[in-house]
Amino acid sequence: MTYNWLKSNTFHHSEFSDLGRLVEAKQKKKIKISLCLPTLNEERTIAKEIVIMKSELMNRFPLIDEIVVVDSGSTDRTREAAEAYGARFYSAADILPDMEHFRGKGENLWKGLYITQGDIIIYLDADIKNIHHRFAYGLLGPLLLTDHIKYVKAFYDRPIAVGKNKMRSTGGGRVTELVIRPLFALFFPELTQIIQPLSGEYASYRDILEKIPFPIGYGVETSMILDIYTKWGLEVIGQTDLDRRVHRNQSTQALGRMAFVIIKTFINRKAKLGLIDLKKKMFDEMIQYNLVGNEYRPVSFKMEGLERPPMVEVPAYTEKFAREN
Amino acid sequence: MRTYLENLPEYAHAIKAFKETVITNVVLLGQEPAPTFKEKAKSQLFLDRLSDFGVDECTIDGYQNPIGIIRGTAKDKPPIFVVAHMDTAVKKDVNHNFVVNGEMITGAGVMDNSVGVGVLASLPFIFKSLDLRFESDIVLAGVVQSIGRGNLRGIRHLLKPWSTPVRGAVCIEGGELGRLNYSSYGMIRGEIECSIPMESGFEPQFKPNAILILNEVINQILQLSLPQRPRSRVIIGKIYGGYKHGLIAHDGTLGFEIQSDSDSMVKTIYNDIQDIVSGTGHESRVDLRLNTISSLHASSIGYAHPLVKSAVAAMRRLDLKPVSEPSESELSIFLAHKIPAVTLGVTRGKDYHLEAATMEIEPMFRGIAQILGVILAIDNGVCDDV
Repeated sequence: MTYNWLKSNTFHHSEFSDLGRLVEAKQKKKIKISLCLPTLNEERTIAKEIVIMKSELMNRFPLIDEIVVVDSGSTDRTREAAEAYGARFYSAADILPDMEHFRGKGENLWKGLYITQGDIIIYLDADIKNIHHRFAYGLLGPLLLTDHIKYVKAFYDRPIAVGKNKMRSTGGGRVTELVIRPLFALFFPELTQIIQPLSGEYASYRDILEKIPFPIGYGVETSMILDIYTKWGLEVIGQTDLDRRVHRNQSTQALGRMAFVIIKTFINRKAKLGLIDLKKKMFDEMIQYNLVGNEYRPVSFKMEGLERPPMVEVPAYTEKFAREN
Repeated sequence: MRTYLENLPEYAHAIKAFKETVITNVVLLGQEPAPTFKEKAKSQLFLDRLSDFGVDECTIDGYQNPIGIIRGTAKDKPPIFVVAHMDTAVKKDVNHNFVVNGEMITGAGVMDNSVGVGVLASLPFIFKSLDLRFESDIVLAGVVQSIGRGNLRGIRHLLKPWSTPVRGAVCIEGGELGRLNYSSYGMIRGEIECSIPMESGFEPQFKPNAILILNEVINQILQLSLPQRPRSRVIIGKIYGGYKHGLIAHDGTLGFEIQSDSDSMVKTIYNDIQDIVSGTGHESRVDLRLNTISSLHASSIGYAHPLVKSAVAAMRRLDLKPVSEPSESELSIFLAHKIPAVTLGVTRGKDYHLEAATMEIEPMFRGIAQILGVILAIDNGVCDDV
């Protein structure tokens, strides 16, 4: 295996800090760009994210045309915080209301595709504590300044906020290193060149995203990479170093559930591609154990691994965007 | 033609229209830790922001103060300085991630002085957006090593080699909105250190206790007779020492500040405290030392100065009630250089020195408009013939 892709398709956000150049490229391509933020109880970070993006990439440099928040049913003040700075806020349940509603990040991203207008969609997690507009322009750069890259993923250092006010400088990415990278190395070694395949920040042309299915939960990042890779090849994928991203620390149990969904998504994709033959349907429940007093008690989480079809297969979408299926 | 004073309420309204950019500057700069003596990264970011906004000349001076200069239209007019201190009292490892909502920004150091620095960085954008041009060069300086042990070194070194006259200056502080400082106390800031050497082998159980000795020093300071005129006071601001609950404290430090309208009174009180320290050390047979950390001379341009009157007029035009007290800040150094200057507060806030310090967003727009009013007043010449 060669590592040519790592050299040619890996970028650093500083390569794209000339925002005027990006605006020029955008105008040349005659395209619109949407920023979509999936949320669930993000009142502490969402407004900051919107303010910075709006100031730097809408008001000062007309790079982004709209900021859209797709929410899974927040019970805090996420909506008020987002609307205070002019973002369009949608409850995921209200988008495509004729279809059955599911809750999950993948569901929000998929519905974001329906509700946004842009030819490029940037997806950013809404819990980035050290948000900076490089998170958006770093992803846009390769899409605007090359002709072959259609999907860009972020990677970064991942210090973790531990406790109320302290930071730990290393850590994070445990599911990547313990689950997804070994799986890639075993079955798709080329994909190990993607430094952080599970990062929650990526941007892509609509005509790529609308043609792939979206798992409704955690598996969405894994499936996107596998589907884009198998459909269009590694060359259409790029990755950008965004330096540093501070995020919430997650418990090992929460990461275990995330790993469950990712492994399931991966195996399903392999089966779909005919690379493995599953003799039996996989189970839907992740079972974990808690020590209560002197007794271990099982706690199970049902995670069915549901997927949304490619958006181009949804009639309401093709009607709205006048796309031929 | 409308005067600049008449325009101020409209400016406040217009600034609100680009609130995202001001908030972005407050957040981006505030999230960069900058404890005193460790302001380098924040200084570079400040400079980057000025450069982003198209400031003509951006540089870092020999003392690491980041400076941007917006060239004026008249070559013969001295420059106007607008400054804000870069450093905060917040340690580097404290979480500096700010929280923004519709009304507030919360984060360590936001009121002292990230909002001041954020507003300073936003001025080039605001000038351009409001189509404001000045005869004088506008020198936008983030000054380092200001607070505590920094002892205003940044501003001292900024002004020391400055070869040309300065027309006037505005110092920006986070809070409170309505603050109008035009005088500074005479001040000496000091620390009294008590240390009791440990002996090798077994320690005697009844030996002097550093904390009790400092307590004795405090009691004697409190017995000093301080005059009402000139106004004078001693603030006991910090104390720390000891090792654990069950051990006699071998060391302790007491931080204090003498403030007075009169330099000679500051000196007299300082000498009294020196006597207390010498006497207590001698009688207790311990090592008790008085160290001076910083000092400032008392100075004032007075309420009648046209700059102060113009600042009051600008604030009243914006329905702000000016509140004036002596202050120790960059202002003291400008006044010591005979440069007319005022300090203004940008907004309202609370818990200034806690990690969850909070600032209000809405009042900030009038706070910025008053700064524009004072810069315009200086540019119109209110300090020129005084």
